[in-house]
Amino acid sequence: MEKVLKKSDLGQWVARLKDFDLYGPVRENNHWEFNQISQLANFPEDYTQVNVPLKKILLPNREVLFQFEDNRNGGPYLQEVLPEEREVVVFGVRPCDARGIVLLEKVFSSEIPDIYFERRRQQVYVVGLSCYPLPGENCFCLSLGGGPFSTKGMDILLTKMQSKYFVEVLTPKGEKLIKAAPEYFFNPTDKDQQERQQLERKARAMFTRQIEGVEKIWPVLSQMFESPLWREESYRCLKCGICTYLCPTCHCFDITDEISSTAPLQGKRVRVWDTCQFPDFTMHSSGHNPRPDKASRLRQRIMHKFLYFVETFGDIMCTGCGRCVSKCPVGIDIIDILNKVASHGA
Amino acid sequence: MEHNPYLPQLARIISIKEEVGGARPIKTFHLELLNGHRFDFRCGQCAMISVFGKGESMISISSSPLIKEYLQFSILKMGRVTTALHEMEEGSIVGLRGPYGNGFPLEEWKGKNLIFIGGGIGLAPIWSVLQTALRQRDDFGQLTLFYGARTSQDLVFKDELKKLKETIPVYLSIDVKEPGWNEYVGFVPQNVLDKKPSPEKAIAITCGPPIMIKFVIKGLQELGFQDDQIFTTVENKMKCGIGKCGRCNIGHHYVCKDGPVYSWARLKTLPQEY
Amino acid sequence: MVEVEKIREEARRLLQEGQVRGVIGYVRGPQGVWAVPAMIRNPEDVDRLVWNPTCVHNLVLFVVEEKKEQARQKEPDKRPLAVVVKGCDSRAINVLLQEKFIEREEVILLGVSCENSGVVDKKKLLNLVPSQKIEEIVYGNNGHIVAVIDGERRVFPPEEVLADRCLECQANFPVVYDHFFGEKIKKEAINTSPGVDKIEKMRLEERRRFWEEELSRCLRCYACRSVCPMCYCTECVVDPISFAVEPTTTAEEKAKKIKWIEKSPLLSENFVYHLVRAIHLAGRCVDCGECERVCPEDIPIRLLNKKLEREAWRLFNYVAGMDSQAPSLFSTFKETDPEDFIR
Repeated sequence: MEKVLKKSDLGQWVARLKDFDLYGPVRENNHWEFNQISQLANFPEDYTQVNVPLKKILLPNREVLFQFEDNRNGGPYLQEVLPEEREVVVFGVRPCDARGIVLLEKVFSSEIPDIYFERRRQQVYVVGLSCYPLPGENCFCLSLGGGPFSTKGMDILLTKMQSKYFVEVLTPKGEKLIKAAPEYFFNPTDKDQQERQQLERKARAMFTRQIEGVEKIWPVLSQMFESPLWREESYRCLKCGICTYLCPTCHCFDITDEISSTAPLQGKRVRVWDTCQFPDFTMHSSGHNPRPDKASRLRQRIMHKFLYFVETFGDIMCTGCGRCVSKCPVGIDIIDILNKVASHGA
Repeated sequence: MEHNPYLPQLARIISIKEEVGGARPIKTFHLELLNGHRFDFRCGQCAMISVFGKGESMISISSSPLIKEYLQFSILKMGRVTTALHEMEEGSIVGLRGPYGNGFPLEEWKGKNLIFIGGGIGLAPIWSVLQTALRQRDDFGQLTLFYGARTSQDLVFKDELKKLKETIPVYLSIDVKEPGWNEYVGFVPQNVLDKKPSPEKAIAITCGPPIMIKFVIKGLQELGFQDDQIFTTVENKMKCGIGKCGRCNIGHHYVCKDGPVYSWARLKTLPQEY
Repeated sequence: MVEVEKIREEARRLLQEGQVRGVIGYVRGPQGVWAVPAMIRNPEDVDRLVWNPTCVHNLVLFVVEEKKEQARQKEPDKRPLAVVVKGCDSRAINVLLQEKFIEREEVILLGVSCENSGVVDKKKLLNLVPSQKIEEIVYGNNGHIVAVIDGERRVFPPEEVLADRCLECQANFPVVYDHFFGEKIKKEAINTSPGVDKIEKMRLEERRRFWEEELSRCLRCYACRSVCPMCYCTECVVDPISFAVEPTTTAEEKAKKIKWIEKSPLLSENFVYHLVRAIHLAGRCVDCGECERVCPEDIPIRLLNKKLEREAWRLFNYVAGMDSQAPSLFSTFKETDPEDFIR
């Protein structure tokens, strides 16, 4: 379903969504984050891309799994803790982040479903914002089957036009949001349609960064486990978690016990973000570490996204948001690395 | 209610046996689930044991699935969780979730001779298969066990091994000479080469320190074993057990669900990240 | 002016003569104008070396990493490393010398002067001009920064684009070096630390709120710790495990390791992390500002270190990393030390 919404009516519509917790881009110091908001009059002109992607709402950096405590008989008593029931609408989600959810679903909703993720996923409504102009200097979604107007993972996609938003309602969840204030939504005219198409064409022409021949990458990668490339590219790596923590698809986690009292024992088992880039990630308690150096850890990051995930799920685990490139303190550049990989196969 | 894969069941420690003392102690625990819950598993599968407040550890189940009264775990004291387990007493409650992993393909091994080759604590996953084969004796051909440790003190299941010798060939070894030791002195792979088990209709199952496994496989190949006749288990750090936390992978395989059991034919095609 | 050709010449000579096992310097990064750290091992690669206002990184970090790597190798190459150091970076070398983490002969220091200017704060510059259009960033006159954008030269005054640490720097040339490039121009700090002034003026409650707001955003990616050449401990209180595990380490020793801090990025844990780190850097931090630069959440981490730097000066007249022979702050006791904080 396609609609248009007057720019001035955005706030009215959002005000009608009282039954939901609302999240939208909020400026913090030098960047944007998805924070809880009470209203949304417009998307600021300088809104680019949030720092921490949408995954922080679906896969929070701390999730309590259950509580444990000694009961009166001395044995432990477990209390399952599930995410609270609250429906959340997130506004201004860029297509790369929304596609990230689709990829996360492959991991967390397949085989043995992860009920924490699933519950949060069911409760989240994604209202996207298409990208014109491109939000980041290292956007490369176009090379990975995405695009500045991609709707994957979204319930609604908004496109900012001259005086209106072009509104693509994509799912029953999206329809539910529109129904909260149907009087603000109108059918688009031919001119609206044209304006939207034109913006998409313009946006697609704006990409400066791309991977040449992405289809070449995974067969080449499967032959590159021992390549010297990993050592060369990882020399300057800091072993920090930025590239993975800010990635819309990276999902590795740790499970740990947090104790609030030792006698009687009381505490929580929590899941927290973790990253393959930390040296202790794969370290056995014996001290043996199957990935003992930066080279093997960079290789893991690239291989997981562009080979292993393809082998398992038939899809690349990267949406081309460019955060890991823009935010790396030492300029490790996945686009550059992938182009080098692709050229190995040429 | 939806299944919560992270929520352990509660289990009681019904017995603790000290197998090995010293600096690398090993204890064998028998666990039973509270409230009469069942825990069905296959040989070679693992379970995640929780010591609440300390965390979880993935441990292979060393009893046979045919035994319903208890689940057996032989645990080397290694880190935070296993140290806490070693300090626990009979009657204590732990958490248990699983089973995890693929297990050994016992159905495919019917009628075959099984050669078990273990080192140190590596006997534990093998023990489950061995005990099952002994209980279904007619399903399998000859059973042979090679087992070694650094010293005679480091051998697990000492009493059981003594009894086992009455039924099947058991070749024990220790790394260096000790007074009173009448059996093989030397490394496990050498003992295997020495005794020359036949690859005819045989399956070799080996488990132990990585360096031992490496040389056992080399030795078996010398004896004419094909790569698909050799099985081993892989150990990697694990957290979730269900292929989500991203920690235990070797290539696109997650050891927690696609492993820990691999034929050498399969394992040699995967990157060596274990 | 620092002539990059002179740095290359020296690097080439050191490598050709086999005097060093490598040269740690700056090269043009994959994103064009922005330099990145690199290890140059072959004389034919020295032409990749650059020197310009985007050379922000403190390369002493890689000296620390190399030192640790050496300890793991059976037969390490014992030849020294050449490393390009700015003023602040050279002070980090001094601290490592004071703490005997390295010996002086392990490094050949290629000191570069920031010449009355400093390095560019990428975030500041990007707020003024979009990155993909910048072709070149070079030093201009009087500390000005020149960016070539679409073939056109745009001159930025230092206060608009330089990193805060450079605006507050008082000695922007190396204090220890083997070869020196450029000129030693003493410059006046524009302000020694307006950020700390501001916080010191806040009431306690206000100050607490300020830090709560800032630290609540911490993701615990540990970039600040990872980038810091002073954070070289193998065993860190924030890690759930110790990296100092040997085959002989017993299970008890591992299990006994106290978990001082949870991995969860809760406010309480984030406070512990950042305060512990700040305290451990007191009298050691040389204000290279890397921790703050790398923070993906724009947390003003530097303020914590700046505050302690000020305290070290106020109480003990101590400035970190100025003299490799001086005893380090925390290993020194003088009878004249103030002790009015002990009650």
